[in-house]
Amino acid sequence: MTNIVKKKVPLREGFWKISSAPDGKPQLLGSKCKSCGEVLFPKKEKNWCVHCNQNDLEEITLSNKGTISTFSVVLQQPGGGFYKGPVPYSYGCVRLDDGIIIETIFSTDNFDSLKVGMDVELVIEKLYEDDDGNDVETFKFQPLS
Amino acid sequence: MKKLNEMREVMVAGIGIVPWGFYPDREHYDFGSEAVFNALKDAEMQWKDIQSAFFGSVYQGTGSGHQVIKEIGQTGIPIVNVENACSSGSSAFRLAYQMVAAEICDIAIAVGMEKMPTGPIPSTAFRPWELQSGFNVQMANYANETVEYMHETGATVEDFSRVTVKNRKNGAMNPNARFQKPVTLEEVMASRMVATPLRLFHCCPLADGAAAAILCSKDKIKSLKRSITVDASVLTSGVYGEGMMMGGTMPSVKYPAKVGIVELSAQQAYEQTGYGPEDMDVIQVYDTMASAELWDIEKLGLCKKGEASKLLKDGAFNIDGQMPVNTDGGLMSRGHPLGATGLGQICEIVTQLRGEAGKRQVKDAKIGLAHAMGAGPNSSVTIMKK
Repeated sequence: MTNIVKKKVPLREGFWKISSAPDGKPQLLGSKCKSCGEVLFPKKEKNWCVHCNQNDLEEITLSNKGTISTFSVVLQQPGGGFYKGPVPYSYGCVRLDDGIIIETIFSTDNFDSLKVGMDVELVIEKLYEDDDGNDVETFKFQPLS
Repeated sequence: MKKLNEMREVMVAGIGIVPWGFYPDREHYDFGSEAVFNALKDAEMQWKDIQSAFFGSVYQGTGSGHQVIKEIGQTGIPIVNVENACSSGSSAFRLAYQMVAAEICDIAIAVGMEKMPTGPIPSTAFRPWELQSGFNVQMANYANETVEYMHETGATVEDFSRVTVKNRKNGAMNPNARFQKPVTLEEVMASRMVATPLRLFHCCPLADGAAAAILCSKDKIKSLKRSITVDASVLTSGVYGEGMMMGGTMPSVKYPAKVGIVELSAQQAYEQTGYGPEDMDVIQVYDTMASAELWDIEKLGLCKKGEASKLLKDGAFNIDGQMPVNTDGGLMSRGHPLGATGLGQICEIVTQLRGEAGKRQVKDAKIGLAHAMGAGPNSSVTIMKK
């Protein structure tokens, strides 16, 4: 009998990295413009700031903590068959401590507990299992309390 | 650069619409051409009079307008197909308006049409990772904005449930609407949850449908008595820093937009016409979701932010109110055939300004405004007068 080792596959490469610090926490990767200071997520492929139009972007890691600015719990399957995660699920916006708002799925067992202003933390979790039996992972934010 | 309002006056010579609903056995070119024939009859014109044609649709594929024309007669005129999400119809109208205003042609037609696809829709309005993350649920994107709006203004679920009640009441007087039955506040608030806090009756229904408008210079008008002047046809498409989840954009914390796209398109339209929001006798706003009608009314400047709920409750937006909004039932009753919606709104304004709206007629309506949004994002404002 062969043991099939489940692989973990990111939904998309280049969205996050695991910190080299002892805690080994994940960090989202973004771009910061050295000219105007704007912070962008996901990291830009081209060295071009969509705010000030300068070629002065650098890769940065984003804060892994923030607060929920808005959210919704979705009770029906999204159209198109692109989303393969569980339903219901919740997504919305998180304002990170370093001054950027990003769209994210929320990780929680209790949708009723979600509230605007709630403190949340970045986690990397399984979104669904692909046809080869691998866990496809994505970034989510999880309530801290 | 010449300003549009310094150009030739443009009039709506005729409009054509078909009842919106589901046409499983008909294609977009079937009811699209029906809308064109209705518009020609209304304008007392022949197809050979039309010199330029713009067709708005989202999901009809390559050469969709050409397919319609094959049902009418190929005359060699230029046909341009316009895809601008849910403002495709109003974007087609704007292009036809510009052609006549700029004196490139004298008579142009704008058509909006959609047969809504069933099954998986290959959405390109969102990036692949956004689709895979499930961020393309427009009800949920609006729900997110609704939560934010409720937080900022104190509006309640009951407040925006009243939008559905008002619009379904108006829709009951519109023979072309998909839903022609009123609903009660209790029914709205007890309908099934779709994406918190939005329930089924807070979401506009989809539909198949088409609408058309023939635009021309004053000298080409057959019946001046029924003609309507287009005073402004504005399109704005996304401003940096504004969050618009239905268009896949997040707000910038460091550089938030000073003016959002709806406000910007409204400002440009008011500036072009010299009118203000207080001059509008009849208004069609973009009620894809009930809550969106509230903030759309505010963004168009009809009242201050956070005031729409109370005004709605007091009847200000009723057909007999100070600012009648969505007199034909809006998207909520009419249904939403994406590419046709913007032109459906324009048809209602024309019908109202002509005084031909029957039971839903606004008394003495002289100036009207139609506003359509679209993923992208897009915002288009049309102002017309009697």
